[in-house]
Amino acid sequence: MSGTGEKLATDKERVLGTYSSKNRQVIRYIPIILVILGALILVLFVPYFFTASNIINVLLQCSAFGLMAIGESAVLIGGGIDLSCPSIMALSGIFGAMFMQTGGNPVLAGLIMVTAAILFGAINGFAVAYLRMVPFVVTLSMMYILSGAALWVTKSVSIPITNAAFINTVLAKVWIIPMPVIVFLLITAIAEVVMSKSLYGRWLYATGTNVKAARVSHIPVQRVYFGTYVFSGFCAGLAAIILTARLMGGAATMGTSGDLLTVISSAVVGGVSIYGGVGSMLGAAIGALFITLITNCMNLMHVSYYWTLIIKGLVIVIAVGLDSLRRRQ
Amino acid sequence: MDEPFLRLVNIKKSFPGVQALKGVTIEVDQGEVLAIVGANGAGKTTLMNILGGVVKADEGEIYIQGERVHIDTPLEAANHGIAFVHQEIAVMPTMSVAENMYITNFPTRLGFIDYRKMLENCSQVLKRLGCDIDPRTKIQDLSPGDRQLIEIARALLGKARILIFDEPTSSLTSREKARLFEVIESLKKEKVAIIYITHLLDEIFKVGDRVSVIRNGEVVGGGMVKDLTYSDLVHWMIGAKEISSYFRPRTAHIGDVILRVEGLSRQGVLENISFTLHKGEILGLWGLLGSGRTELVRAIVGLDPIDKGKIEVQTNGGSMKTVRPIETRKWIGIITENRREDGLLLPKSVKFNMSLANLRNLLRFWPIIDFKHEIELTKEFIGRLGIVVSNFEQPIEMLSGGNQQKVLVARWLERNPSIYFMDEPTRGLDIGAKAEIHNIIRTLADEGAGILLITSDIDEIISLSDRFLVIRNGHIVAEFPTGVSKDELMATAAGVA
Repeated sequence: MSGTGEKLATDKERVLGTYSSKNRQVIRYIPIILVILGALILVLFVPYFFTASNIINVLLQCSAFGLMAIGESAVLIGGGIDLSCPSIMALSGIFGAMFMQTGGNPVLAGLIMVTAAILFGAINGFAVAYLRMVPFVVTLSMMYILSGAALWVTKSVSIPITNAAFINTVLAKVWIIPMPVIVFLLITAIAEVVMSKSLYGRWLYATGTNVKAARVSHIPVQRVYFGTYVFSGFCAGLAAIILTARLMGGAATMGTSGDLLTVISSAVVGGVSIYGGVGSMLGAAIGALFITLITNCMNLMHVSYYWTLIIKGLVIVIAVGLDSLRRRQ
Repeated sequence: MDEPFLRLVNIKKSFPGVQALKGVTIEVDQGEVLAIVGANGAGKTTLMNILGGVVKADEGEIYIQGERVHIDTPLEAANHGIAFVHQEIAVMPTMSVAENMYITNFPTRLGFIDYRKMLENCSQVLKRLGCDIDPRTKIQDLSPGDRQLIEIARALLGKARILIFDEPTSSLTSREKARLFEVIESLKKEKVAIIYITHLLDEIFKVGDRVSVIRNGEVVGGGMVKDLTYSDLVHWMIGAKEISSYFRPRTAHIGDVILRVEGLSRQGVLENISFTLHKGEILGLWGLLGSGRTELVRAIVGLDPIDKGKIEVQTNGGSMKTVRPIETRKWIGIITENRREDGLLLPKSVKFNMSLANLRNLLRFWPIIDFKHEIELTKEFIGRLGIVVSNFEQPIEMLSGGNQQKVLVARWLERNPSIYFMDEPTRGLDIGAKAEIHNIIRTLADEGAGILLITSDIDEIISLSDRFLVIRNGHIVAEFPTGVSKDELMATAAGVA
C-alpha cells in the first residue's frame, strides 16, 4: 500500500479507534481501583480492620462466593451465563448433608457434593452446547428446578451436620490460613494461568469474542461451551463444601437469588464482560473481594439486607454500563 | 457559469492523531454522477459522513443550489434530500421489504399502520427501479443485490435529491452490478444528483460523469470522465508508484492430485459435486452469489453438514486418504468470504488473531502456550506479508481491510496447510492491497499449495486461475482451461449458454 502505507485505519475505523485504547485500559482497572480505595477507607475509618485475623476473616467469607464467581466468569467469558450456580451449590450441599445425616463418611460426602454439582453443570452444558439452547433459559430453568428440588427434599428445614470431622477438616487451618481461603486462592491462581497462558484460555476468549470465527479456525466450540458449565458446576460444588461446613448444615436457603446477585456482581465488577470474550479470573476474584467488603461494611453499619440487595443490583448495572461504554468506543 | 447543484468547499476534518481531510472541494450537478475514488483510508468515507451529518466538519461550507446549508445531524441531511446507500447494508432481516423501506416513517391511519398504502407505494417505487420484488417478502429471503435495491428504493421513497452510494458493488455479482448501473442511469434521468464512492476504476468509466480522486485527505485530481484515461486515475490514486510492478506473471507447475471430491451432496444446496484439485494449482470456482460456491467450501471443511459424498486428500506420505469433512482441517486452510463476520476477532490483538488456528502447535508443555515462539512467529509473518501494524498487540479492528486480510492469511500460513480455500479474499480491498493478496496467492501456489479460489471479480479469477469450474444452482456445470473468455464464464454461470 505504497502511497497510503503509513495510514493504517480507514476513516470509519479511525473515528472508532483512536480514542479508545487509553480509556479502555482505565475502565478495565476500575474494579481494582475500587477495591484499593475501599480498603483504604476501611483502614482509615474502621479500627482493627487492617489486622491479619480480620483480613483472613474477610477472605474466608469471600471464599465460597468467590469460587462461584470464578466459575461464573468462565461461562460469561465464553459468551454464556449461568444463573443456576447458587442453586446447584445449595442442592449439592443438601445431598452431602443428608448423606452425613445417615452416618455417611465425610470424605464421601464431600465427593458427593462436587460430583452432583458437576453433573448439574454438565446438564446445563449439554443443553447449551449440544442442543443449542439459549443459556439464559437453560440455567434459569435449572435454577428453579434445583431450588424446588432443594425445598422438596429438605421439606424447607435445614439439614444439620453433626459430623465434627467434616467441619473440622474443611475449616482446618494451615498456619493461620483456613482451608477454604487456600482453595479459593489456589483455584483462582490455576484458573488465571489457564485463562492467560493456555490453549483452553485462548479457545474460550476466541469463542466468546466471535463464535463463528472460532469455528472456522477449528476451535471445538461445543466442547468449550460444555467445559465452562461443567467448571462452573465444579466451583459451585467446592462452594457447597465450604458453606455447609461454615453453616454446619445444608439448607435450601443457601442458594437464593440474592446469592446469584452476589456471584454475578462479583464477576462484572471484576471486569468480566457479560457480552463475552473479555475478563480475567484474577479480576473476578478481586471483584468478589470487593463485594464481600461492601457487604461487610453495610453489616457493620447495620444497613438492612434489603439495601445490600439494592446496592449489589446497582453495582451490576453500573459495571455493565461501563462495559457497554467501553465497547461503544 | 451556472452554480452546481451541490458544492462542498474546502472541507477540513481532523481526528486525534490524523488530519483525515485537508480542505476538500467537490461539486456535482443534478442528473450527474460524481465518482469519488481513492484507496482505503484516503478520506472518502469521512467526507460522505460530513455530508450525511454523521460527522461534523472542522471547517468548510456546503452549498445546495447556491445556498449555504448547515448539516449537523443525519436528520438535517435527510431534510435536505441527502440519502445514503450504505456499504454494509443496514436492514432488519426478519421484517418485510415494505416495513424496512418505511421504517423511519410508517404511514398511519387512525394510529394504525396503513399497510395497504405502504404496500402500494413500495410496489410503485420498486417498479420505477425495474424490479418486481413483492414488498411483503422478508429481507432475509433476498439476495444481497436485491437488498441493496431496497436501500435505493428507501432513499427514493424519502424523495432524495442527492444520493450517495458508498462502495455499492462490493457484495454484488456481475449481473446485479449491471442492474445497479441501469438503475443509476434511470435515477440520472430523474434529476437526482449522485455521488458514487468506489475504488474500482472500471466502475468509474461505466457510471461516472465527473470524477474526483482523493488521496491522503486531499483531492489530487479529477475532471470529466470522458476526458480521462485509466492510467490518469491510477497515477492519482496511488501516487508515483508504477502499477506494473504489482502484477507479475506466473508459470504454474501443476503436480499430483491433493484433493478429490466425489458426489458431494447436500439437500437443496449442493448436488453431486465432483472435482479434483492439484498441487501447485489455482482452481477458480466461478458462480453467481447463491450458486452454492460458498456452501461448497463450507461443506468440504465440515462447517456445514453434508448428506453424502466422498472426500480424499493427499496425506503427508503422498497417498490418498478418504476423510470425513471435519478431518480435512488438518490439510485445508480456509479464508471465509466475510472477514468481519466469521474471520476476525475484532477487539483482540493481531497476535491473538494470527495464532488462533495454530495454537496446538505452539504449546510448550501441554496445554501452556509458548509465548516466545508465538511472538517470533507473529513477527515473522508480519514481516513476510508486509503487514502494516504499530505492534503485534494492536487490536485488529484498528487495521485497514488489506492488513486485516493479510493477518487472516497468515493465520493459515502458520499452519502451512497443503490446500487453501479462499472465498472472496480481496473483497473490499483497494487496488494496492488487492495486488498484494494476489501475489501471496500466487506465491503459495508456486510453493506447491493447491488453492481453490472463489471471487465475484471476473478479472481477478481470470488473471489468477489455472483452471476454472463453474457452479450453478449447486451443480458443477462446466470446466474450462486457462484462456477462457470472460463472456464464456459469465454465460455458463448465468445459464444462458
